[in-house]
Amino acid sequence: MDLAGIGKERLHLAWVSSAEAQRFVEVVSQATASVKAQGEFDPSAFTMQLEAAEKTLSGETLRWLVGKEVKTTTTGDVYGRKWDTDSFETVLDSVLEREYHKNLIFSAIKDGDSNVRAIHAKIGLPLQTISYLLADLEKTGMAEFRGMHDCIPEFAAL
Amino acid sequence: MEDFEPKIVAFLCNWCAYAGADLAGVSRLQYPSNIRTVRVMCSGRVDPLFIIKALKQGADGILTAG
Repeated sequence: MDLAGIGKERLHLAWVSSAEAQRFVEVVSQATASVKAQGEFDPSAFTMQLEAAEKTLSGETLRWLVGKEVKTTTTGDVYGRKWDTDSFETVLDSVLEREYHKNLIFSAIKDGDSNVRAIHAKIGLPLQTISYLLADLEKTGMAEFRGMHDCIPEFAAL
Repeated sequence: MEDFEPKIVAFLCNWCAYAGADLAGVSRLQYPSNIRTVRVMCSGRVDPLFIIKALKQGADGILTAG
């Protein structure tokens, strides 16, 4: 949520047992007050971000990793090394960020920003990161190089 | 923004928070009517994609309670 610029404060998570009616009331009141203070959420201002987040979360890379967490942190990875939860979470976070940025670039290209500078202007990522991730998008068949236009490489989403 | 009433999608576990909400109703405890409840059989059923979908369709906030 923070990565997409939506802010994790819009998301509330709480544990309420079936016997705790009073606690439920508190949780709901608190969540309502918090969201009220943050104001209305306009999804049309976050179309690209939401689309990228959706693609990231349903993508196989992240799902593989999440599925491997218990095994990697309890019995160990394929080399027999056991990871502690913190280092696994670090890897998960960096993969999440990378996949999200890739999907954001993909959305920008689909929106008609075909070169690195236009993508940079739209989503604000550093130019170097964009060209680096573009190479990855090409490799996985999500984007392709369409040729040079005024000495600027142009890309298209597939 | 004095009269802004947020729409909050609440994913409630059937066995915990949903029952808690039920009990709140039976005990006549008042709580804000901003939540739109979605009952799930376990809060582990809530896929992060549900949250994105709710935001896409105009929710102002999400509450997951188990």
